[in-house]
Amino acid sequence: MRFRPIALAVALLVSLSALPLRAADLTVTISQGVDADTLSPIRTTNTPTFNVVGQIYEQLAVPEGPGNMSPGLATSWKRIAPTVFEFKLRKNVKFSNGDPFTSDDVRFTVEKIKDPAYKSTQGPYYREVVKIETPDPYTVRFTTATPQALFPALRQRSYIVDAKYWRAHDNGYLEEHPIGTGPYVLKSWRKDEAVELEVNPNYWGPQPPIKHIVFKPIPDAASRVAALRTNESDIITNVPPQYVSTLVSGKTTEMASVKSVRILYIAFNTLQPGPQQNKLVRQALNYALDVPSIIKNVLGGRAYPVPSVIPTNFFGFDPHAAGYTHDVAKAKALLAKAGYPDGKGIDLVLNSPNGRYNRDKEICEAVAGQLALVGVHVTVKTNEWTNYTTQIAKKQVGPMYMLGWGVINYDADGVVTGILTADAPNSAWVNPEFDKTVFAARAELDTTKREALYAKAQAIAHDDAPWLFLFQFEDLYAMSKRITWQPRGDESIVAKLIKPR
Amino acid sequence: MLAFLVRRLIGSIAVLAGVAAVVFFILHLTGDPAAIMIAPDATKDEIATFRHAQGFDRPLVIQFASYAGGLLHGDIGKSLRHETPALALVLERLPATMELAFFALGVMILVAIPAGVVSALRPNSALDWFVRIFALIGQSAPTYWIGLMFILLFGVGLGWLPVSGIGGLRHLILPGLTLGFFSAAKVMRLTRASMLETLGTDYLRTAAAKGLAPIRVIVNHALRNAWLPIVTAVGIEFGTLLSGAIITESIFAWPGIGRLAVQAVADRDFPVVEGVVIVTATIFVLINVLVDVTYVALDPRIRYE
Repeated sequence: MRFRPIALAVALLVSLSALPLRAADLTVTISQGVDADTLSPIRTTNTPTFNVVGQIYEQLAVPEGPGNMSPGLATSWKRIAPTVFEFKLRKNVKFSNGDPFTSDDVRFTVEKIKDPAYKSTQGPYYREVVKIETPDPYTVRFTTATPQALFPALRQRSYIVDAKYWRAHDNGYLEEHPIGTGPYVLKSWRKDEAVELEVNPNYWGPQPPIKHIVFKPIPDAASRVAALRTNESDIITNVPPQYVSTLVSGKTTEMASVKSVRILYIAFNTLQPGPQQNKLVRQALNYALDVPSIIKNVLGGRAYPVPSVIPTNFFGFDPHAAGYTHDVAKAKALLAKAGYPDGKGIDLVLNSPNGRYNRDKEICEAVAGQLALVGVHVTVKTNEWTNYTTQIAKKQVGPMYMLGWGVINYDADGVVTGILTADAPNSAWVNPEFDKTVFAARAELDTTKREALYAKAQAIAHDDAPWLFLFQFEDLYAMSKRITWQPRGDESIVAKLIKPR
Repeated sequence: MLAFLVRRLIGSIAVLAGVAAVVFFILHLTGDPAAIMIAPDATKDEIATFRHAQGFDRPLVIQFASYAGGLLHGDIGKSLRHETPALALVLERLPATMELAFFALGVMILVAIPAGVVSALRPNSALDWFVRIFALIGQSAPTYWIGLMFILLFGVGLGWLPVSGIGGLRHLILPGLTLGFFSAAKVMRLTRASMLETLGTDYLRTAAAKGLAPIRVIVNHALRNAWLPIVTAVGIEFGTLLSGAIITESIFAWPGIGRLAVQAVADRDFPVVEGVVIVTATIFVLINVLVDVTYVALDPRIRYE
């Protein structure tokens, strides 16, 4: 025991001579907040997990923007009947164990996801699919019960597994031993410590420039920033806005940001009794809100106002959507008209998550402060996330609650049917005309007509004001100057596109 | 002594059974994680189907019976997040946490106790003030803040030590010191107080009057009698170190049970939370028994009949 202090001193001296030196071995370390849940790509719907398995497995196609997909394991796709969608698969693709990739793998994957015994949380991705046919090894046909404007398999991140390999192993083994067609293969996984990937020499596409990728989770945002500054990480996610100036001016660090597919809004629970059931009150509160000021003062300018219920870079967004502008006089007039002159008699609780979204609680506090200026009393209440989402799904959170929502396929459908239609799990608002319009849009195969339906839906939502409309986030990443890399708005990280500088 | 140990063992099992039951009911009363596990746009029916597949819809008593039955066989079920046995997950992370806790314990014994003794020998001296201020900071500054300051100073500023992850002594130093800081400060203050009390006693004056070397007076007579409260504190602090690891492990991305626990609580990963609590409680109970046994060695007047 007497040697301990000496050992410590020696260690300190050694560490002095071992200042962080990065060998030119082209290892890039990526730090997200949490580790992967599993290396099975078809069990969870968790983004950090997708970012890890997404290097090992591949999708049929990848959404790139509104109405725009890039080919993956599928080279082309088309609708061959109102309810039938056909994919042509890429030939000469092998899984990293040598198994050839065929239509059987696609069918197996979807059937496994839909199998309740597997307990996949991705079931809803394929809810409309009633039949899968594989007429030949490179063709897959999906049949849906009713015509769908969007094809289900391309709505969410959905990776294809090796049917032969999966049939030969039990689920527990497959959680930790991934075999995919992607550009990287698993070298090791030490939970909560590191997932190490190395390049797949037999990858069908171009070989990635970076040979080794490490996903090293760091839960604390300040520690992630420190890890980047000490060269322990090369890419970090979810950078808090207060660190931006430090990282921009850093010798070895720089910021990378992108407009997120995620919108943030404050819903009114119109199913609960209270002044928020009155449309005029909801409109008035929207006029009382100064969203650009919140973006500037709480988020350092890192967000984009959204004038409607649909993100501005999505299919279906109406560029003519008016949106609410900051107008205190109008807000007061509407409140008076609604029977609440000077906001008297309105006392609302604004529920907020705490730490789920960038500065969520602070945003709610700013909102409460602004609403107080028209005489409306708002109390901010923070909630623990799991309980919060469970209660929201039961429509029991109110009269106001903050929620973020991101859909990766840049299409209005996943937004409106996820958080606004009466039966949507996260909705607390009922407007039959809105529902009729968006469900018609879902089944409308003509793009122009579909666009017109969403424009109508947005006008309805604007007038009925189910939310306090806020903004779309800007996702903040930071990275080392050793590399070049572009973040994506859908929060996915594509390691094969990282290049050394 | 043997009878005492048997009695303690039976008592310990009762304590652990109580802990296991309490953690089960507290966790399950907070609701199940079906809604956060499944795709966020899942319909009510889809959530219900999933809840059923996971068995969350069974009556709580039935769930408890199956949990208790599993416990008797050393099985607490599979992690909901990882789909792998929860106990294995916990035991897999335990060595990392123990490494951290033992390092912090080392700091406590090698630095805090000597500092407390020296401080008590020269009360109100400059050294004593220094030690006391240091202890005050250690007791009052939050672990989170201490950790970040260490990271900024020794990691980002001086570049001496890595700030995240596990791997060798260099990775251990910052989280180890952060974790040990609070407990060390406490032990330091307690050692000082306990020594001051002992130093004022008649038998010490006698020992000194006999002409014993000062070091023998301090070690064999003063410290020996001051030991009891210190040992108790060190034992309890070790338990605190295990639970304090929750914050330290999150700041330093240390893959131990503390971090596992935080994530499992957020995910409502029932089996993993239960595993962490039961394993930690077991260690705590064992340490307490160990402390009791150590009393006998330290104080011949103590006998367990």
